[in-house]
Amino acid sequence: MHKSKKQSTHLPLFILGGIVLVILSGIVDELRVYQGATIAVYVIAISSIILLTGYSGQVSLGHGALMAVGAYAAAVLRAEFNVPIILCFIAAVLAAAVGGTLLGAAAARLSGPYLAGTTLALAIGLPSLANQFPILGGEQGLAFDVGFPPLALGEDFTQYKWYFWIAALAALISMWSVRNILNSAYGRSWRAGRGNEVAAQLAGINTARSKVLAFTISAGIAGLAGALLAMTIGTVSPSAFPLALSFSLLTGAVLSGISTLGGVIIGSVVLVAIPEIADVVAHRLGSSESVTTNLPGLIVSGLLILTVLFVPNGPVEQHRARKAKHEAAHNSTKK
Amino acid sequence: MQLLNTLLIGITAGSIYSLMAIAFVLVWRSTRVVNFAQAGMALLSTYFGYEAVSRLGSFWIALPVAMIGGALFAALVELVLMRLLVKHASSGPIAGVAPIIATLGLLGVIRSVISMIWGGQDLRIVAPISNNGFTINGSTLVFSPLKLLVLVVVVVLLILLSILFQKTNLGLALRASAHAPEIARLSGVRVDSVRTLGWALAGAAGAVAGLFQTVNGNGNFSPDSIDFSLLLVSGFIAAVIGGLDSLLGAVLGGLFLGISISFVLMYISSGLFFIAPFVILLIVLFVRPQGIIGVKAGRRA
Repeated sequence: MHKSKKQSTHLPLFILGGIVLVILSGIVDELRVYQGATIAVYVIAISSIILLTGYSGQVSLGHGALMAVGAYAAAVLRAEFNVPIILCFIAAVLAAAVGGTLLGAAAARLSGPYLAGTTLALAIGLPSLANQFPILGGEQGLAFDVGFPPLALGEDFTQYKWYFWIAALAALISMWSVRNILNSAYGRSWRAGRGNEVAAQLAGINTARSKVLAFTISAGIAGLAGALLAMTIGTVSPSAFPLALSFSLLTGAVLSGISTLGGVIIGSVVLVAIPEIADVVAHRLGSSESVTTNLPGLIVSGLLILTVLFVPNGPVEQHRARKAKHEAAHNSTKK
Repeated sequence: MQLLNTLLIGITAGSIYSLMAIAFVLVWRSTRVVNFAQAGMALLSTYFGYEAVSRLGSFWIALPVAMIGGALFAALVELVLMRLLVKHASSGPIAGVAPIIATLGLLGVIRSVISMIWGGQDLRIVAPISNNGFTINGSTLVFSPLKLLVLVVVVVLLILLSILFQKTNLGLALRASAHAPEIARLSGVRVDSVRTLGWALAGAAGAVAGLFQTVNGNGNFSPDSIDFSLLLVSGFIAAVIGGLDSLLGAVLGGLFLGISISFVLMYISSGLFFIAPFVILLIVLFVRPQGIIGVKAGRRA
């Protein structure tokens, strides 16, 4: 299986992507910049699901809760101790990763529906814990303020653009790391364990440990996404991390193609675009308010079902499979 | 007195969880799927019941209406969604998680459609009898005629279900196709129809759970009511405690969960309402991963 040349880490590609994003953020309007920041947050969160579900084969419906852990860690440090913002984000990753390790240790003994149900119980239970500790601000939540953009960026550099820069940078760094982790020996051992656990164990992989590691890394990434989400909203509260968030992330991952990291941008853009599309559709139809407010939810859930039924492995993977089939057919006719 | 109260509250709540757990077990036995849309189906059935109450004025008509509605809807889901799922999404990296994702999607669809039709506000079903506690020797219990009714109905349903499973040919077919579908098919059992029937029974059980969860609470319900998320989680946990494969286990699991939660809320902190089920589930999974009934007895039920 060893490739003859050392695989490149694609660093220049990601740097180029960053430059494109910086230029883009300068030419679009404020709303788009804000949506761009949201997309970047989703990219990070969905890539954590892809790593966990697509590669290591574990389902989590509790990633909303892990995002909450990261967000609260960052907000408490910021509000109580006025810690520099970069350290807040690092703390978010670490706190969520610790939570993920604990959850992963339990998860390694569970499979499929058991794991899904357990993480579901966590997603419902954990945010309500915030009401138990006064330092977490109860139902009201905590303010999370990353501060104004540095003056060196110019007078007319807006707050939203600053959010976008932070989120986009975080997204590029985490995508780059995830990509390289997935291509490393860890990524291969996850895939081996997902495909056939017994065979992987025979090949010398400690599948239990590799599953816990996948949970830890995935949780850390989710924690970063949680802190960034809190940044774009400005506060952290239990209601910012509802069960619906965990479901949206799963939908995003399925739309992206559960095992294609490159598709992650598809899922993120769709998740951000759906409310807007639904709004347009509802207005065009002139429908009542209860239809308008619930249309986005219906579209997201409907898409989830349709994707699982008809493009189960994602659009990118589907296209690749079709192309491979086509080529195979072509080659056999040539002979 | 407090001890007795706590126990009785736990048993009543637990009997509702048992019904939900039975719904999970019936679906798991017939199609090997954990149906995360179960709470959505229960919610939809509760709306059917609400319509029946407001048109016909009686809770006793609403209950069978909700059950039949829930059963028909569940059967429809099995016929359309589950059969397509088996056909399309049974290979590749998605195969293991496809049913979970599909039923979650269904949960979302049901919720959105309900909000579109009935709106997002609270609706109300009035309990058929009083929820004021019995009075014994001058002191008032929390246990009320309504809670007694819930218990009685659940017990009657359980007896009917066990007669269906143990004494009828249909029950034999249900057990056979859960245990060994291929052999059942060879002996002339129409396994596909039996699967649909399993889903329908689950839909009916979920409908009762949904209605009773509503009237046992404050009578209010809405598409976003946390009661139904809780019903989903509690029912699932109760089913897992019981081993996911056994009807008797589901009942015992539900009672165990209901009583444990009741004691935690009374003697530790009422703020632990949402996290307690998760902790109980983790403890059970670590101590007895095969469920309290265990695999051997589970197959018999």
